[in-house]
Amino acid sequence: MNKVYGVNTGVITAIGADTEACLRALKAGSTGIGKADFLKTHWQEELPVGEVKYSNEQLAALTGMNAGYPRTALLSAVSAMEACQPFAGKTAGLKTGFISANTVGGMDLTEGLYREIKEQHDPKVVGEIIHHECGAITELVAQHLGIHGFVSTISTACSSSANSIMMGAQMIRSGMLDVVLAGGADCLSRFTLNGFNTLMILDRQPCQPFDDERRGLNLGEGAGYLVLMNERAAKQCGAEPLCIVSGYANANDAYHQTASSPEGVGNKLAMEQAIQTAGLSPADIDYINLHGTGTANNDSSEGKAIAAIFGDAVPLASSTKGYTGHTLGGCGGVEAVFCALALRDGVVFPNLRWQKQMQDLNWKPVTELLTGRNLRHVLSNSFGFGGNCSSLVFSKA
Amino acid sequence: MKIYIHGAGMLSAAGSSDATGFPFLPPQQETDSLLCKEPDYSPWIAPMQLRRMSKAVRMGIGAAKICLQSSGKENADALSVGTALGCLHDTEVFLSKMIDQDEQMLTPTAFIQSTHNTVAGQIALITQCHGQNLTYVHRGHSFEHAMINASLFLNEHAGQSVLVGGIEELTATSLSVMQTAKVYRHEKTLPERVLAAPDKGSLAGEGASFFYVSGQPAERSVAIHNIFTFTTRDTEEAVSLVKNFIAGSELTIEDIDFVLTGRSGDLRTEGFYDRLEHELFKDTSTGSFKQFCGAYPVDASFGLGILYRSMMDGLPESLKVKHKPTQLKKVMLINNFLHHYACWYLSVT
Repeated sequence: MNKVYGVNTGVITAIGADTEACLRALKAGSTGIGKADFLKTHWQEELPVGEVKYSNEQLAALTGMNAGYPRTALLSAVSAMEACQPFAGKTAGLKTGFISANTVGGMDLTEGLYREIKEQHDPKVVGEIIHHECGAITELVAQHLGIHGFVSTISTACSSSANSIMMGAQMIRSGMLDVVLAGGADCLSRFTLNGFNTLMILDRQPCQPFDDERRGLNLGEGAGYLVLMNERAAKQCGAEPLCIVSGYANANDAYHQTASSPEGVGNKLAMEQAIQTAGLSPADIDYINLHGTGTANNDSSEGKAIAAIFGDAVPLASSTKGYTGHTLGGCGGVEAVFCALALRDGVVFPNLRWQKQMQDLNWKPVTELLTGRNLRHVLSNSFGFGGNCSSLVFSKA
Repeated sequence: MKIYIHGAGMLSAAGSSDATGFPFLPPQQETDSLLCKEPDYSPWIAPMQLRRMSKAVRMGIGAAKICLQSSGKENADALSVGTALGCLHDTEVFLSKMIDQDEQMLTPTAFIQSTHNTVAGQIALITQCHGQNLTYVHRGHSFEHAMINASLFLNEHAGQSVLVGGIEELTATSLSVMQTAKVYRHEKTLPERVLAAPDKGSLAGEGASFFYVSGQPAERSVAIHNIFTFTTRDTEEAVSLVKNFIAGSELTIEDIDFVLTGRSGDLRTEGFYDRLEHELFKDTSTGSFKQFCGAYPVDASFGLGILYRSMMDGLPESLKVKHKPTQLKKVMLINNFLHHYACWYLSVT
């Protein structure tokens, strides 16, 4: 089977509009969580979020896209363009694909138009709303970037974009494609903010993943993509491998529509199988980028599943949700980029605002920046509603 | 990689399949929307649960359960679902309340059930399937991509099985929006007349179809050799891509016993299907299926179900064909929803 190389990254989150900006913030420990400026909601003062500090017009200006497009498409285009830019004009003759993911589609605009849609049938409004389905977001970006070939969209709640990386890797491994842009995006919307608020899992303060007194998650927004290539494509494009996508797995908790099983059945299956597909054993994992949302339920289930797999030898681990907030369909892609950077630079980003040891765990996350580490293999977790659990393993190139 | 269908479950406006076959009940009334004739769900879903379930979720569970039954299985190792618009009803419920109540005093139920992966999640829960679980939401290619994903999975998990499905629910809002956008026609039509009276837009539909697939053939199974998806707004390009697909599948026109087409009476694609039927497949047996189920983004799943059942039991009488096929060994499904096209090549094992 073909090896799958991650050769470039693109990312935009509350801590930066490109890879290097995010990396600087991660190293400096600076959070992106705060009051929303662009999202207009009843909860503006009460619920902090990880908002990208660019208006739709500014995002459109960065990309040359139409500012009237859904914000998820704009965010997706910014980081997709960053990831693809070095290979422009070099992929002739290669089989290319774009596998993206999102959960909100154009909901940020739909929620403003819904009343109009219900009450009158203005063809102009309707003409816009047909770009609001999840798949349309991917198509808008594909069109803008001029990507032809296999284009698809996955939506598995908070694990969505980890799954697009998995599918991209499978298509390269099996020889179906040579180059895949894989990841995902989601923007903040009143719909998701209110939805999570009704579940009473939003933190009124900046979140504290894996802390005993954690109160919940902060929603965030952003996009993250990896350019995946086989060896032949990397050679043709003159691309230097950043990392290898060596393992992946998707399992289902089959326990509850929104809650994780107390012992993290699905989480454990996903991590174990991802390590197994990489041909590794748990002892080979040097760092885990945790799903670590900051909710009581997630961190407890994830933490126990990790303890069950790694026993007394839990690797270095941290959640980066304290920086970016939970970017939903984007987080698998965003955190894959962070893992690629960790491998490239030998750094482990600290888990922000951790204070108190979780009583039901025998391990704790990394709370200080670690540098100069020889990280060989890192594991990235993404878990979501519907029992969806995905884990990816990235290895040093 | 070749994969094999061992059973199917279909819910449609033309009725539902059962463990033994698909008793075709073509819709007879003039309508602007072919809504699913839903089965009695009580064998599979407890009444308390059923009351809280949206149509998309219960249709998905129903079709998945019928499919498992017809395959003689309790569950599959993995799930792969395609749904372009997902759980529209619950999305609208939460959205309207949020707007009407100015973001206050909301309850979570509709939100929880609004995510696109709710159907796949609920099937996993009900069948206790801990394996891979994916939901594709790529417009008119959602179902095809779910099937391609199943083949990727089976390629890496020899000996395992996947339940692959397509689900779409129609709501009052989605019907009126898509009618205004001229995706669907406004005028009420007699379904059997829809193909004979082309108009702007197709007849709206909905439904759920599931398939039990594995990497191993059985005594009675249908092989999926090849699936090709493409988008275009150009008839000429679409026809030439179909030709490429046939050549790429190492087939000649003469090899093909029957072609099921996604002709829907929509003027935008009449030219494409005319070219297929009158030129490319001039002497080949052809037929169409959207007069039974209506048009929806994953309607290919119903078309595949019809083909699968036909290859098992023979063509149903109500499916009108041009030239009666002498056998149904090698068949094609050529479909579109808007500018999303797909070609399938199947054979009986």
